[in-house]
Amino acid sequence: MKKILSLFGMGLMLGTAGVAQNIQFTEYDLKNGLHVILHEDHSTPIVAVTVLYHVGSKNEQIGRTGMAHFFEHLLFEGSDNIGRGEYAKYVENAGGGLNANTSQDRTFYYDLLPSNQLELGLWLESERMLHAKVEKEGIETQREVVKEEKRQRYDNQPYGNLFPETLKHAYKNHPYAWAPIGSLEDLNAAKDQDFVDFYHTYYVPNNAVLSIAGDFKPEDAKKLIEQYFGEIQKGKEIKRPTIVEPTNTGEVKDVIKVKDQLPLMVQAYHIPEQGSKEFYAIDMLNTLLSNGESSRLNKSVVNEKELALFCGAFTFNLEDPGLTLSYSVANMGVDIKELESAVNAEFDRLKNEPISDNEFQKLRNQIESDFITRNSSMAGIAESLANYHTYFGDTNLINTEINRYMAVTKEEMMAAAKKYYIPENRVTLYFEHDPSLLKQ
Amino acid sequence: MKKYIIPILLLCLSTIQIWSQKVDRSKAPKAGPAPKIQIGSYQLFTLENGLKVIVVENHKLPTVSYSLQLEIDPIKEGEKAGSVSAAGELMTAGTTTRSKDEISNAIDFIGAQLSSGSDGIYASSLTKHSETILDLMSDVLLHPSYPEAEIEKSRKKTLSGLVSEKTDPNSISSKIGNMVKYGKNHPYGEMMTEETVNNYKREDLVNYYNTYFKPNVSYLIIVGDITIDKAKAQAQKYFGAWSQGAVPKMKFRAPKAPAGNEVVFVPVPGAVQSVIDITYAIDLVPATNDALHASVLNNILGGSGFQTRLMQNLREDKAYTYGAYSEITPDDYIGYFSAGASVRNEVTDSSVTELLYEMRKLTTEKVDDATLQIVKNIMTGQFARSLERPQTVARFAKNIEKYGLPKNFYETYLERLNAVTADDILKIAQRLLLPQNTYITIVGNKETLSKVVSFDADKKPLVYNPDGTLFVDMKPAPDGVTANTVLGSYIKACGGEEKLGKIKTMTQKGMIDAGMAQLDMQVDMASGKSLKMTLSMNGAPFMTQLFHDNKLTISQMGQKMEGDEQDILQAKIQCDPLAELHFDQFGLKASLKGIEKINGADAYNMEVIYPNGDITTDYYDVATGLKIKSITVKKDGEKSVTSETNYVEYMDVEGMKFAKKIKQSGGGQDATIITNSIEINPKFKKNHFE
Repeated sequence: MKKILSLFGMGLMLGTAGVAQNIQFTEYDLKNGLHVILHEDHSTPIVAVTVLYHVGSKNEQIGRTGMAHFFEHLLFEGSDNIGRGEYAKYVENAGGGLNANTSQDRTFYYDLLPSNQLELGLWLESERMLHAKVEKEGIETQREVVKEEKRQRYDNQPYGNLFPETLKHAYKNHPYAWAPIGSLEDLNAAKDQDFVDFYHTYYVPNNAVLSIAGDFKPEDAKKLIEQYFGEIQKGKEIKRPTIVEPTNTGEVKDVIKVKDQLPLMVQAYHIPEQGSKEFYAIDMLNTLLSNGESSRLNKSVVNEKELALFCGAFTFNLEDPGLTLSYSVANMGVDIKELESAVNAEFDRLKNEPISDNEFQKLRNQIESDFITRNSSMAGIAESLANYHTYFGDTNLINTEINRYMAVTKEEMMAAAKKYYIPENRVTLYFEHDPSLLKQ
Repeated sequence: MKKYIIPILLLCLSTIQIWSQKVDRSKAPKAGPAPKIQIGSYQLFTLENGLKVIVVENHKLPTVSYSLQLEIDPIKEGEKAGSVSAAGELMTAGTTTRSKDEISNAIDFIGAQLSSGSDGIYASSLTKHSETILDLMSDVLLHPSYPEAEIEKSRKKTLSGLVSEKTDPNSISSKIGNMVKYGKNHPYGEMMTEETVNNYKREDLVNYYNTYFKPNVSYLIIVGDITIDKAKAQAQKYFGAWSQGAVPKMKFRAPKAPAGNEVVFVPVPGAVQSVIDITYAIDLVPATNDALHASVLNNILGGSGFQTRLMQNLREDKAYTYGAYSEITPDDYIGYFSAGASVRNEVTDSSVTELLYEMRKLTTEKVDDATLQIVKNIMTGQFARSLERPQTVARFAKNIEKYGLPKNFYETYLERLNAVTADDILKIAQRLLLPQNTYITIVGNKETLSKVVSFDADKKPLVYNPDGTLFVDMKPAPDGVTANTVLGSYIKACGGEEKLGKIKTMTQKGMIDAGMAQLDMQVDMASGKSLKMTLSMNGAPFMTQLFHDNKLTISQMGQKMEGDEQDILQAKIQCDPLAELHFDQFGLKASLKGIEKINGADAYNMEVIYPNGDITTDYYDVATGLKIKSITVKKDGEKSVTSETNYVEYMDVEGMKFAKKIKQSGGGQDATIITNSIEINPKFKKNHFE
C-alpha cells in the first residue's frame, strides 16, 4: 500500500519535469538477511545475475589496504563444489560473461547469462557466498596478478598516481585515504588467515544484495533463490567505519613529480555525503562546470583562454562524504599558476554570480537526458537497483532520484558553492614533469 | 504437555520440507530449454542523392540516434598527417550561420550529443528534441565554415596531446606497431608528428570536406524511438539537399608480414612493465567464411574472457600479467593480427616465448572438440547478448548492404558458427598465425632490450624513439665538457694549436678505392687560400677540383662545373688546419649532445649545423680526443640524403696526426681513402692554384 502511494506521488512530480521512467521491480529479504531485487524484462533472452557485497576499501585496516579488491580476484578461484578457475568456465561455456569490480564502498560481481541459465548463475553466486575457497595456491597466483594490475592500471599509465595521490592528500583520517588497489607491500604482508577472516566477516548474506534483471519469471526465481541462498548462515553484524573526516582544515598544497610532460593540476573539495540535499546542489554545480562543450570550465579555460587540453570537475560520490575532483591538463608552455587562477575564477563565479534562467534550464535538460539514458542494459539496471538499495535504502530512486535534482534551486546551488567551494576546504596538487624520472 | 507437541511437530515438518527442497550443490544445474534468439528488423531506403538510410525502431527508451557514416578509402596524408582528423573534428567548430559557441550551447541546451569525425557525424537526443538536433547536425554537415581561429586552437591542443603521448607506453605501442606493420607510407601506418600538424592549412581541411563528404558514399543510420514514416520525413528534410559528387578511389600496396621475426623496441625510461604486442598485417576480408573461422580461432587463442589459451597460460598459470589478449581483425583494405600483454620487466622474454608458443601450437595441433564447443558456446552467447543493443541490428543491416550479403546472413550466423570444424581452424591458423614472421614490439625499460634480442631473426632489433625516429643510445656528457672543450681536445690530439698553426702549405698523396675503380689522389693546400685535389687513373687525369680566389671549379673529362656555396665553405674549412677552433667564422653551430658508444668505444656526439641547414653529426673518441666518425644529412628538396665517414686510422707526421684511412659511404656508394704520405710546408709554384 505504501509503495502504491509513493508511486502515485512520484507520477505527479514527474509530470512537471516531463520525465517518464518506470523500471518495475520487486524486493524482499531472505531470513538470513540477503536482500533480493528482481526486475523482469523479456525483450532480450538474457539475464543479469549480480551480487553486491557491501564491502570496499573503506572497510580495510591500515597495513592491510587492497584486501577488498584482492578478494574480488580470489573469489573467482573456486568453492567446495567449483574447481579452481572454473567460475569462468561454467559461465562462458553457457554462453555468458562474468566479471567483478571493487570500489571504496562495495564489491560487485555479475554474470550475464542466456535466460535459460538463471539457475546456473544462482548456483555460482550462492557457492561464492556459502563456501568459497580461500587457499594458498589461489592467493599466491592472484597476488601476482593484482600486482600486474596495479602496474598496468596505475604505474604504467599517464599520471597514473593522480587518483591515489589525491585521495592521500584529501583524507587524513578516513579510509578513503587509499585507493581500492591498495599497496603491494600490504598485499605481500597479508597472511592467509587475514583473507579467511575477511571472507567470514564480509561475505555474508546480511551484507549482500542479490539483484537480477532480465528475461525470467519472478515467481520461479524466488523459489530457486530460496533453495540456493536460503541455507547460507547469517553473519555477524558488520561494523562500519564511523570516522568523520574533518573539513575546512585549510588548503593543502603539494607538488608531485611525474614523468609526464604536460603539467596537470588537481583540486579536490570535500563535499557532503550522497543523497543529501546539498549533494544534489553540488552535483548540479559540477554538471554546470563540466558537462558538454559549452560547460563553463571547458568554454573558459579550454576554448577561450586556451590554457588547457582538458579541464573539468566531477562528483566523486561515495557513501561517506566524497569529493569534487577538478582536474586540468595544461597546454604546452602554459604556466600552471595561470591555469590555477583561471579554474579558481570559474569556481568563484559560482559563488558570486547568479545563474541565468537559460543556463539553469540547460542544466536541468542535461540532467533529465542523462537520467533517462542511464539505464539501457539489464546489467546496468541490476547494478543501479542494488546501489540505490544499499546506499539510500530506497530502491525506487532508480525512478525518482531525478526529482531530487529537479527540486534544487539556483539559490541552493549558490549557497552550496559558498559553503563548500572555498580554499580552506580543498586540496590543490600540481603534477609537474621531472626530467630526472626519465633517466634510463 | 500436548499443547507443545504440535508446534514442535510443525517445526519438524517445515524443516523437512525445506530439506527436501535442498538442491544438489555438487554439480552445475541443468539449463532450461534454449531461448529463441531473434534479430530485430530494420528498414532501408535511399534518398535521391544516393544517401542510404537504415532505420531500426526500438521504443524502450524515449531517445533516438542518427549516425552518418562515410564509406571511403583511407587517405594518405603524408607531410600533413593530422589534417584529415582535424577536418572531421572541426565541422562542429562553426558553420556559415552559427559560431562554435552557438552550436555547443544549442546541443547542450537540450542535453544532446553531437560529434563529428573524418568519417562521419554522430548525434543523439531525447525523442522530443530530435528535430532540434537534426537541424544542428544538418547544418554542421552541409555548411561547416572552418574558422581560422578554431583551426589554430585545435592545432595547439593536438600538439599538446602529442607531447603527452610521448611518455605513455600504450599509445607508443599502438603508434609504433602501426608504423612497422603497415609501413610509414601506408595510410594506416603514417604518423602524426609536430611537423605534420604544423604543416596543414585551412584549405587542406576544406578540400578534404569538399572531396569526401558526399551522400552517395554515405549511410545514415537511425536507431531508437522513431517510426519509419517519421524517419523518412526527417532524412528528406535534413539531408535531402546534400548534393552528390564523385569521390576518388585510392589504391595502396598491401603491406606484408616480415620475412623473419623483427624485434621492435621503444625504450621508455622508468617503465615498470613491458607492453608487448606481436603484430603484423594480414589479408582478411570482413563477412567471409575466413573471417568467421578467424574469429573462432581468435576466441581460442585470446579473444575475450578468462578461458582463452593466452589468459590461462600468462595470467592464471604463470601470473605474468593482469590480462593477455589477441585480435584477428578483418578490414576492407588490410587487416591485422595482434597478441600481447603488459607484463613486469623481469618476465618480458618469458612472456614473448609463451605468446609465440601459443600461436605456433595452433598451427601444428588440431584444437580438441571440447575446446571448440566451448568457444562456439561463448560466441553464441556473445551474439545473443549483443542483440540487447539496437545498434547491433543497425550494424548488421549496414554490413548486409555494404558487402551485398544474403538478407538472412545474420539469421544463419549461428548455423555457420556451429558448422566450423577443427580442420577449418587448423587451416585458418596456418594461414594467419605467423610466429616466425612477426613484428615483436616491446615498449618498456631499456634494460629489457638485451633479453629480447634473441627473438630477432638477424639479432638486430629496430630501436625507435616514441616519435618513430631511430633511437640513439646516449648518456649525458660530464659537467664542464662542452662543444668547445671537445673541439679543443681534438686540436690538441692532432698536435696542438701551435704546430698546426705553422702549417702554411701541405701535400697529401694517396689513393681512393671505390670498389670498381682505383684512383690516385693528390691534395695540395695553401692555408686559408687555396686547395687543389687531383684524381687520376693509371696516370691519366680523371678529375680536378680547384678552390682559389673564393671560387670552386670542378673539371672532369673536359667538362667544367662551378661549386655552390656549400662546396666553397667545405673547401675553406679544409684549407684551415685549425678549422675546429674557427666554427664561428664559418657560420657553423656546434652543440654537444652526449656520449654514445661507437664501435664499442665512448664517443662524444656533436651536432654541427651548416648555414644552409645541412646537419653533420661528428663523433670524437672520449679517450683519444680524435674524430672517429661523421654523419651528414643533406636536404635535397623533400628528400634527405645521408652520408657517413669513418676515420679508421691516423698517421703521425712531425708530431701531428692526420687521417690515414677513411671509409665513406652514402648514396649507395662506398669508398676507402688511403693517405700514403704527407709533406708539410712544401713549396708550390707561383701559379700552382690558378
